[in-house]
Amino acid sequence: MIGRGWLRAVTADLVRHWRHFAAASVGIILGVAALTFFLALGLNVRELLLVQVFPADHLEVAPRSANIDLFALRLDLGRDVLDAAVLADLASIEGVDAVYPKMRLTVPALASGGDSIFGTGLQTEIVADGIDPKLVADDLGGVFREVDGDRTSTPCSRDEHCGDDSYCDRSRSFSGGMCRPFIPVLVSPYVVELYNGAFRRSYGLPKINPDSLMGLAFEMDFGASTFRPSALPTIRERMRLAGVSDKAIPLGVTLPLGEVRRLNMALDSAAAGERYHSAVIEVRSKQSAPGVVDAIQEMGLEVRDRGARRAALATAIIMVVLALVGGVLIAVAAAHIMHVFYLVVMVRRREIGLLRAVGARRGDIRNLLVAEAAVVGMVAGIIGLATAVAAGAAANAFASSRVPDFPFKPESFFAFSPWLMIAVLTLAVVACVIGALPPAFRAASGDPAEALAGR
Amino acid sequence: MGGLTYHLAASCILHPASCILHPRRATLRCVITLKNVTKRYPGADIDVLAGIDLTIEAHDFVSMVGRSGSGKTTLLNLIGGLDTTYDGAIEVDGEDLRSFADFELSELRNRMVGHVFQAYHLLDHLTCRENVSVAALFARGEMRREASWVRRRAEEVLATVGLYGAGRRRPSTLSGGERQRVALARALFHQPAILLCDEPTGNLDVETGREIVELLSDLHRNGDMTIIAATHDEMISAAGARVLRLRDGRFIDPEGGGE
Repeated sequence: MIGRGWLRAVTADLVRHWRHFAAASVGIILGVAALTFFLALGLNVRELLLVQVFPADHLEVAPRSANIDLFALRLDLGRDVLDAAVLADLASIEGVDAVYPKMRLTVPALASGGDSIFGTGLQTEIVADGIDPKLVADDLGGVFREVDGDRTSTPCSRDEHCGDDSYCDRSRSFSGGMCRPFIPVLVSPYVVELYNGAFRRSYGLPKINPDSLMGLAFEMDFGASTFRPSALPTIRERMRLAGVSDKAIPLGVTLPLGEVRRLNMALDSAAAGERYHSAVIEVRSKQSAPGVVDAIQEMGLEVRDRGARRAALATAIIMVVLALVGGVLIAVAAAHIMHVFYLVVMVRRREIGLLRAVGARRGDIRNLLVAEAAVVGMVAGIIGLATAVAAGAAANAFASSRVPDFPFKPESFFAFSPWLMIAVLTLAVVACVIGALPPAFRAASGDPAEALAGR
Repeated sequence: MGGLTYHLAASCILHPASCILHPRRATLRCVITLKNVTKRYPGADIDVLAGIDLTIEAHDFVSMVGRSGSGKTTLLNLIGGLDTTYDGAIEVDGEDLRSFADFELSELRNRMVGHVFQAYHLLDHLTCRENVSVAALFARGEMRREASWVRRRAEEVLATVGLYGAGRRRPSTLSGGERQRVALARALFHQPAILLCDEPTGNLDVETGREIVELLSDLHRNGDMTIIAATHDEMISAAGARVLRLRDGRFIDPEGGGE
């Protein structure tokens, strides 16, 4: 066949029977749109769960709890801390690249400040933990790092004398102040969302932009509490918000590990500075994660993110079910395509006979009809993809304006990746071609004389 | 036939390249032989062709005359390879058509045989030029040509049948006689060795029918093709054709004779 003439013949046929093909395409458009929409949604949510909520290459390990409820109390008979020996065992597991211990602050703390942001000074009881700054180094760079909180090297009378990373502490001397570094802290995005969602409404406070919080300075009194009088001495430190990270404690603040260790040892005990409540395990690859999880469980420890994994699994199952709905729609559409092509072949019986009479082989007739089906599938598939993308944009717009903020709320709920588009488009074309094959074979069968006579 | 001569000349003057580029026709003599050919349609009680024996020499101009249902169209379909279910043997230059695979029959129809149908069978969604050149879509080997050649050749053949400049028109805008000419141009596109015409004047008024007959006669005189026409029209026999009379699936003259 001559390429351009053949293309012209296909196009002319499609234009001539556009009503038939348009009717046949509706199913393909709906199927492709549904399949793409749900796959893009499911893949994005799954990615969100596995990469942000539960990074498959970062596992949080904690002592396995063994709770027994006794009247109003719950007794924890399990081990509640990880020590250096356990951390060493974790580091020796095949597939583990690094172990980052987390230490909880074992004394109460009060945070106060925020006048510049909230317009009024706030004070709140707060929990804190410490993490190795290396754990967030890739995300935050060097702004979250270990500092020596006891270091008092330079005399001063005002903050301006101490540079950007320090302030002038005049509380420890009557004669003058000494420069002390700010202690960097992290907060979880959940804290920001909680503030913007419910907390600010209860207290009539303004909604805040997380980016504006960077560099916010406030004070923390370690050892102090408003819950009940504390006999502990109090250590006051000035903190500076270094970033928002999903690796920070969900409700509270996260300090560099060394600071928490120092505070625990100073205010609690030497042993409190050696005990970790959990550890983040960095695995070499996502593929090695299952083996690492098994080894951790054999050590009597638990991996904390099973819930997220179950959520990811549930998401995957829902995604598959919804995608199946789209797939079934496409299959039904293929059957419809077959029906339409049978109709078209019947209408074009004499025309097909004429083509055979001027030299078309059976394969030429089949190819002509299959090419028409492929074009129908391609056009319908593109319209279906556009519909899915438009529906996704509408859903994102709705979620952005109507759905309250929640932790890890993404900017887009959909991942319309090129490979997904190509795969679905290919499926649409293949479905149409498969649907058109039986009528195409029927059309190519028989003698031209029969077709010319309309038999 | 002065008009036709003029058009032939004009087309070659206007498109000399197309005259040079005419497809090279196979140098077959195209002797067609039918041996005891019998055909019965499924469900029919009688044979539409009953033991036909016939020899048509190369470059013959044959007119098959008979009433409706006498088997003329069926005979043309068998000779042209459009119908392959029959008893007996049909040979072209000694080659039994039964020995041809389906794709070989398609090749034969594409290169060697031109069909003109009573109902024209033009494709209304295509232009006249595209209708005329539709066979080029399925050409293979040395018959496969560039699109520009196909376009020029289609215009040339349209000019040959007296429709110079009608290439862009749709068949639906043409009169019956003009449509028949387009159908004839389509049959002539690849310069067939055998031209099979089924009632070429059947749907036309007398004057237009006469023009078509003159055109066929002229093609026979100036070309080297075998023309077989099934017709009621006595004008064709008057144009110098050998006449075969069919009745109830048999030639009235057992020798398959003519006039």
